[in-house]
Amino acid sequence: MATANPLPGVEIASVPAAAPLLALLAPLPNEQFKGVLANLSACADPGALLIATAGESSTDSIPAFRVVAAPATKFSWILTAADFVNAFQLAQEHHARAILMLGPESSSLGLPGLRALVDSVAGAAADLVLPCYDLPPHAGLVNSAILYPLSRALFACPARFPLAIDLGLSLRMAERLAAAAQRLIALNQSTAPLWPVNEAAAAGFTISEFGAGPRFLPQPAEPDLSTVLPLVVGSLFSDIEAKAAFWQRPRQLPSPRNHPHAGPAHSPDPATDIAPMIQAFRLAYTHLQEIWSLVLPPNSLLGLKRLSLTEGAAFRMPETLWARIIYDFLLAYRLRTIHRNHLFGALIPLYLAWVASHINVTASGANPEHHIEAAAAFEIEKPYLVSRWRWPDRFNP
Amino acid sequence: MLTILATIFQPMSAQAAPPLSVDNATLWRHMSGALHQSLYRVLSLLIAVLPGILAFFIAVGVFALLGLILSWLLRRVLALAKFDARIARYRGGADWTPMSTPTAIVGRVCYWICILAGLMIGISAFDTSYAAAGVLPAPLLPYFYRMVGAALILIAGAIAARFLARSVLIGAVNMQLQYARFLSLGVKWLVLVLTAAMALAHLEIGGPIVEIAFGILFGGIVLTLALAVGLGSRDLVSRSLESHVVRYTGEGAERTASPPGESLRHF
Repeated sequence: MATANPLPGVEIASVPAAAPLLALLAPLPNEQFKGVLANLSACADPGALLIATAGESSTDSIPAFRVVAAPATKFSWILTAADFVNAFQLAQEHHARAILMLGPESSSLGLPGLRALVDSVAGAAADLVLPCYDLPPHAGLVNSAILYPLSRALFACPARFPLAIDLGLSLRMAERLAAAAQRLIALNQSTAPLWPVNEAAAAGFTISEFGAGPRFLPQPAEPDLSTVLPLVVGSLFSDIEAKAAFWQRPRQLPSPRNHPHAGPAHSPDPATDIAPMIQAFRLAYTHLQEIWSLVLPPNSLLGLKRLSLTEGAAFRMPETLWARIIYDFLLAYRLRTIHRNHLFGALIPLYLAWVASHINVTASGANPEHHIEAAAAFEIEKPYLVSRWRWPDRFNP
Repeated sequence: MLTILATIFQPMSAQAAPPLSVDNATLWRHMSGALHQSLYRVLSLLIAVLPGILAFFIAVGVFALLGLILSWLLRRVLALAKFDARIARYRGGADWTPMSTPTAIVGRVCYWICILAGLMIGISAFDTSYAAAGVLPAPLLPYFYRMVGAALILIAGAIAARFLARSVLIGAVNMQLQYARFLSLGVKWLVLVLTAAMALAHLEIGGPIVEIAFGILFGGIVLTLALAVGLGSRDLVSRSLESHVVRYTGEGAERTASPPGESLRHF
């Protein structure tokens, strides 16, 4: 599916077969930059790669690489709209046939993961190539709790990290993402995250995933959840709202994922204390009933009441309850039941309750991926979302 | 002078002696006359004001009808011009997206402008007839505007109070403050008291009493909140200061460099 040229003045030329791959690297310190180049040279012929970076880095160690300067962007812990626009512009300027985007801290990406990414992009395996990181059990929790299940249930895409920071893009995928990014930039939201999975699914492009192995994911500069959660989840909700006509159509859901760590159980992490999270949830249950009751139906409130009475070790949030909570918050976001900042503020204690529940599950020796894959509840509850999205005023017990 | 004194002190017997019992017919005549005069005055006022009242209702009705027609026409024209799609394309995923479509909003605004115009014209007509009746020396319209202004102040204040109370409540809960509701209620009443004082001042009711009462109430609430927060969150403030010191002096480097598996990472 072709889209209109998003960048005026940039002609989309036919791509020769021997055109290079464009590797757009987030700025790195010189030593780390050299390390990434060394890894890349082990994965592909340096002559077939064009490196673009905004940082001031030298290629003395591997002179075979051709390095071009990318426009400087504001540093961010995720790939932003400006990055996608730059990637497409550079690919057009240098007649690249595909794009490899390596996000911040890409030096922590191992050689096998990088090789898998380069191979997938070079082999034109799919329009969008996404990594599946091997993270510690208690990392990437917002992704596991909200981003992955929503993206999977609504866009029927099993990609484990929809907000990945290392991507492989075909030229047409880059073009589409640049168009979406241009819209955000026009709205002065150049630092807002973009959702490649949703774009690819809506455009009918192919998506593939590769095992990226362990990687250090950079964390937001502002560690406060009440600042970052609205940015990320709000952006996803907004994208879901914009693509409502697409995801409401019934489509075949992806098959359950195979868990790479399904064998040995993860050792429980004794350093993680869930008591403050449960306490935060109970405090919120005492004080935020009035606000939650505007968003959640009585059935969910009853579930939360039961949860608030549960003792620490037995603290488990039912998957169905969690799925309904997220769907109800998505609906409230759409209907503007309360101010959106208040909405995400009221979601934080519920999210912390999910985190506490997740830690309890992993502490009991279960594979964390099994608990995350219980996100299938989102798929089961999708008719509830569709029904309430279409008829929000219907009786909802 | 002598004549006056002579008149005052003339003997009672010289005057006609008043009847010891009042004549019923005379009393009834006086009462009836008073009632007739009163009825006449009220009826005169009503007759003078009635055209004004009629003009008020006619003006509001006509302008409401006009508003309906204009709104309908505007909606049709905007629908033909695909106004909603154009706005959606221009705004994209902007943060402020109202519940109604832009066309509906424009239509509604047009309707309410017409209603407002009808109200103003109607009140002006009523005011003219009321003033012509000579009942009040001052015109009614300026005071009506004051009342509308006070009502708007009250509505805006109530909305602001609810918004701020919710913001404080959610923020305080996420900071795990046990007295979150108390804090939220305090902020809500601060804004409501301020709003009520502003509305009364706008209506010029109460004079300095309102200002003094407002000062006492506002000061009292602020003092109560300050004492409650100051006494209740000493630990929180010290923890916050400590974390700032750690962040800026780099003493927390060990904490941030700890193995990733040992701490929570939300992203």
